[in-house]
Amino acid sequence: MKSAEKISLLRVSSVMFVLLILLGICSAISLAVGSAGYSIHEILSALFQEESTPIKTIVVNLRLPRIILAILIGASLSAAGALLQSVMRNPLADPGTIGVSAGAGTAATTILLICPHLTASVPLFAFGGAALACVLIYTMAWKGGVDPTRIILSGVAINSVLGAYNSLLQLMNADSLEGVLAFMNGSLSGRSWYQVRIALVYASIGLLLAFLCIKNANALQLGEEMAKSLGVKVNGSRIFLSGVAAFLAASTVSVAGMIGFVGLVVPHIARLLVGSDYKAMMPVSVVLGSVVLLTADTVGRTIIPGMEIPVGIVMAVCGGPFFLYLLRKKGKVSGN
Amino acid sequence: MEISANNLEIGYGEYIAVRDMNIQVKKGEITTIVGPNGSGKSTVLKALTRLLKCRKGTICLNNQNLKEFESKEFAKHVGVLPQRHSAPPDFKVKDLVGYGRMPYQKWYNKNNEEDEKVINWALEVTGTWSLRDKSINECSGGESQRVWIATVLTQKPEILFLDEPTTYLDISHQLETMQLVRKLNRESGIGVVMVLHDLGQALEVSDRIVVMKDGRKYCEGTPNEVITSRMMKEVYDVDCEILNVAGRSKPLIAYKEIV
Repeated sequence: MKSAEKISLLRVSSVMFVLLILLGICSAISLAVGSAGYSIHEILSALFQEESTPIKTIVVNLRLPRIILAILIGASLSAAGALLQSVMRNPLADPGTIGVSAGAGTAATTILLICPHLTASVPLFAFGGAALACVLIYTMAWKGGVDPTRIILSGVAINSVLGAYNSLLQLMNADSLEGVLAFMNGSLSGRSWYQVRIALVYASIGLLLAFLCIKNANALQLGEEMAKSLGVKVNGSRIFLSGVAAFLAASTVSVAGMIGFVGLVVPHIARLLVGSDYKAMMPVSVVLGSVVLLTADTVGRTIIPGMEIPVGIVMAVCGGPFFLYLLRKKGKVSGN
Repeated sequence: MEISANNLEIGYGEYIAVRDMNIQVKKGEITTIVGPNGSGKSTVLKALTRLLKCRKGTICLNNQNLKEFESKEFAKHVGVLPQRHSAPPDFKVKDLVGYGRMPYQKWYNKNNEEDEKVINWALEVTGTWSLRDKSINECSGGESQRVWIATVLTQKPEILFLDEPTTYLDISHQLETMQLVRKLNRESGIGVVMVLHDLGQALEVSDRIVVMKDGRKYCEGTPNEVITSRMMKEVYDVDCEILNVAGRSKPLIAYKEIV
């Protein structure tokens, strides 16, 4: 019995090890490539020089914060997705697909347009919007219990309603459009150490809370009645887990805008790698999410020379088909 | 330990599923609730285990109102296997059974020696020891039912509630499950309360049977008192004879021939 446990522990730690190495390689590549390409040697020598060179400015003030942001956001979105999937008992749940990010984006946009002087508290309002979206989804999907399909459907509905509201805001405020568009299309373009500091605080708090949820997330996977009879306060856990997910999603929206599909794709792959137990799945998701988002952002800013594709669009292009694939696969399983 | 309910009324929305219900279940006894579809059997079972709220009436565990119990404290006295349960298919049997220890742990605890001992006991007693390293989707229907029973047993409950534990099983696994229930009751003194459809099985394993009809208790008593051709006619509208067969301690139900 002990040997079987050792094998699964070995598997999880080797997956983690490989992912961390991959994350290191991706970061190095991302530091080196871009509209101005440098060799690793040039970068290293620039970093340890006293005087400021163009290389040092680009690497330290543009690329490095962007890499750290991508890592934090990928980790937060994946953790948020994993938590929502446990609460809603649905592998298709993701802050983007069910409208939680849209809630955060809408609240952030509204605040920026109506009271521009409140910029500093955007994350707070984004969290409020995300939490409200969660409540709405639940209310709409509730019919003597939460039906997974209804959750996705009401999420889609909420997404389109909020999308329409956002378009309306844009029409009415065409002069200050730039800031709004930044929320709509998730992008890491032009982000600096200021955003890194915000993201670092929120992501550390959110991820810490997410790790505290592991046991309850696992119990919720056994079904509502089973979890209840194991002494789990099911409704309380659901609220707490959704709240943490909304917090994580909102913090990413307020620094980088809406980026979909990370929370959908990453936990799914993590499950394939290490199984459904959140003790292994959650940490693997967090690191894998960083790798995925960093890769997507690096590809987005280098694939077409002289032009940047926002990371939100890269994720949508890759994640959309993946979502459809999951939907199809899930249909087959439940048909059995 | 005993759980007793007085004058229960339980409903969903406008619909009243159960009314004027009195029931008492005890540690050490096997109580079976039977009745036609929609008669309120599962509803009563859910109310007794706090999965459903009652509109009227009180339920007490050892004279203390069920509402006063902390969730985890209650889960140490009472284990419930709902009719529908599911786990991610790749969960390992041993891990799943380990979830039964949740009421005894804080969110940061890992299994301690005591937990491991109880898990191993539950695996042993339900005959799932050899499955412990398999994943749930590698188990057959009968095996996975025993694994789930092991999970609930790991709570170390004094009374075990099983909602239609045999419904989706073939006859050999049904009998196997009934044997397990009886063994747990006889050897470990656990009280069992279950909802069954098969009256023959109810007759054989139960100490007491409660018959429900249209949301009310029709009658209750020992199997011999309760399972009569008159009850079968009035509750199920079925004609049958109750036959005593030499060499069997419990009678058989012989339904009228199908023509």
